[in-house]
Amino acid sequence: MLVFAASDKGGTGRSVTSSNVAYRRALAGDDVCYLDFDFGSPTAAAVFDVPGASRGVASAGLHSHLQGRHTEPHRIDVWAESEHDELRYRPTGSGRLVLLPGDRDGGEFAIGKDTVRRCVNLFLQLESEFDVVVVDLSAGRSYAVDMVLEATAQPELQGVLSRWLVFHRWTHQHVIAAHGLVFGERGIVAGGVERGHDKGALRDSIRFVRAAVPDPESPLWSHVPLAQSEWMRKCDRDLTELAAELELGYARLLGKIPLEPVLQWREQLITDEDVLASKVAGMATRQALEELAAALVDDEAWERQ
Amino acid sequence: MAPPDRDRRPILCGEVRTSVLRTSEALTARTAAQLLNLRPDEHVLLSERPNLRVASPQLLTGVDCRLPSLNGSRPRAVGTVAARAVLTEGRVLQASAFARLVPGGGDHRKPWGHYLLRPGVVEPLGRHQDGEFTEGFLAAAPLPGGVLNPGAVAERLLDEVLRHRLLDQRAPFKSGRTRLRWVALPAAGDGVTSIERFTVAADGLRTVALRVAPADPSAVAALCEDLALHDWLLTTLVALVERSRLGSGDREAVLTALRPVVDHLLHLWMPGARVPDVLSGVWETLERRPGFSRQWQALVQRIRDQVALQTVSLPRPVLADS
Repeated sequence: MLVFAASDKGGTGRSVTSSNVAYRRALAGDDVCYLDFDFGSPTAAAVFDVPGASRGVASAGLHSHLQGRHTEPHRIDVWAESEHDELRYRPTGSGRLVLLPGDRDGGEFAIGKDTVRRCVNLFLQLESEFDVVVVDLSAGRSYAVDMVLEATAQPELQGVLSRWLVFHRWTHQHVIAAHGLVFGERGIVAGGVERGHDKGALRDSIRFVRAAVPDPESPLWSHVPLAQSEWMRKCDRDLTELAAELELGYARLLGKIPLEPVLQWREQLITDEDVLASKVAGMATRQALEELAAALVDDEAWERQ
Repeated sequence: MAPPDRDRRPILCGEVRTSVLRTSEALTARTAAQLLNLRPDEHVLLSERPNLRVASPQLLTGVDCRLPSLNGSRPRAVGTVAARAVLTEGRVLQASAFARLVPGGGDHRKPWGHYLLRPGVVEPLGRHQDGEFTEGFLAAAPLPGGVLNPGAVAERLLDEVLRHRLLDQRAPFKSGRTRLRWVALPAAGDGVTSIERFTVAADGLRTVALRVAPADPSAVAALCEDLALHDWLLTTLVALVERSRLGSGDREAVLTALRPVVDHLLHLWMPGARVPDVLSGVWETLERRPGFSRQWQALVQRIRDQVALQTVSLPRPVLADS
């Protein structure tokens, strides 16, 4: 399965959340591969705590592979190379967790026929090796988004299951921007149709993930004045209505990640140690990530229209 | 003192890349022949005994490159790399590329016509040391850009065949690719063929150094394809058995996970089936230690025992129905 992680803007927690989902899938026993297609700022390795690659690798990253400068893209076995205490020992029953980093001096690049061909080959090869292939795309309608739309429209990839996760924060601006990214005139759906995708099938393969969502019912806000708490509830209701109007409602919602300082500030994987032993991360966050990871491979969640 | 260039026997180097064919059903001889019909002017080679193997015609790629070495001296070399694709039992696809390094190419590049008359020959310009080349070529790290890299030729060929529209891109199980990079040096005197090293590095890379008795270069390449095929089979079987959590998970789930192994892999094991006698010493060595077939048989036995146990523990009515 190919999973494309996209977001309307930066700062939505796309990389950190999709990395956590990749990690949770591997814990559940799937062989998982994570591709850093954020060509402008390849920082996925930092989330996985891999030394020496936190801002991308010096050579043979995904940029240079797609541009034909290296036949073998660099692979990092996260279980073996991570410096995170909890990641260094691969738990029994877990699957492989492999990261394909970007190049340090990358940047966006123009996309030609050869780039698309290499991209198709890469997706086909990884898909035949891994259960889940997560592709972390640069924010907005970037070259990376164009390239994967072009690649997945090729006949060779028709038999391969593709799913899109669009991350947005739970604010007025972000809900509107996420709608634009997917359904707008220059959005993912329009761009896909232009390249030969079936409109209905592409729309059905897209789900939204709300990130950094404050929960008005959380004990965190139980001591705020009544007026403030009422105001928070009203904002949340208004946003829910807006989201429903803009086709970002429950039918297309795959997960909701609470506002979580560890995700915001540390931008790393949330392990059970963080939740249970050192208690720096909330149980609700861990639960949300686990549910999102389960929903990703749950066909029923993707059949809702 | 090193012998003058004209007396040196050429060394061979190459790389084999092995992958599952991404199709839900194994191809028949007929479709396999269509798949590997890569040149309109030449036929594919088809052999049905002792198992089905189809090989594409040979393709040539012109190269003007540097020879790898560890000490940084990288002499230039010009010529052609020969490549072909091989499909075993309609299920395992290999792309294999090799070149013969023939000394005495002079100091300057000749017109292309000269090289085209010598398919699969690469001529170093100026002097080079066989030892330096071998060490540089077999170093575990990926080969730097601009040096002789049969693996890159093989990779392109493999990707091209794997994208063929005959394939539905649905492999019956998940598996990785392996790369077997090899060098064959002439055996001393009339010597016998032997294997000097077989290493398993990270990322599916294997390196092999052989000493070979005088033999046809494509027979040596075919021996390496055979080694690569069986190394891939073993690697893949080990990975699939591990993933099935045999011995720990619930038995039904284990059997579901192992089913594609029984359907698609177990009958493919035939080491040395087509290797000519003059080269067969390599397999004898490998079977003694580490014992490829020993490990394979042990795994196969574990799988069969699981299947047998499952059948024994089925409730009686299920057995009666079937």
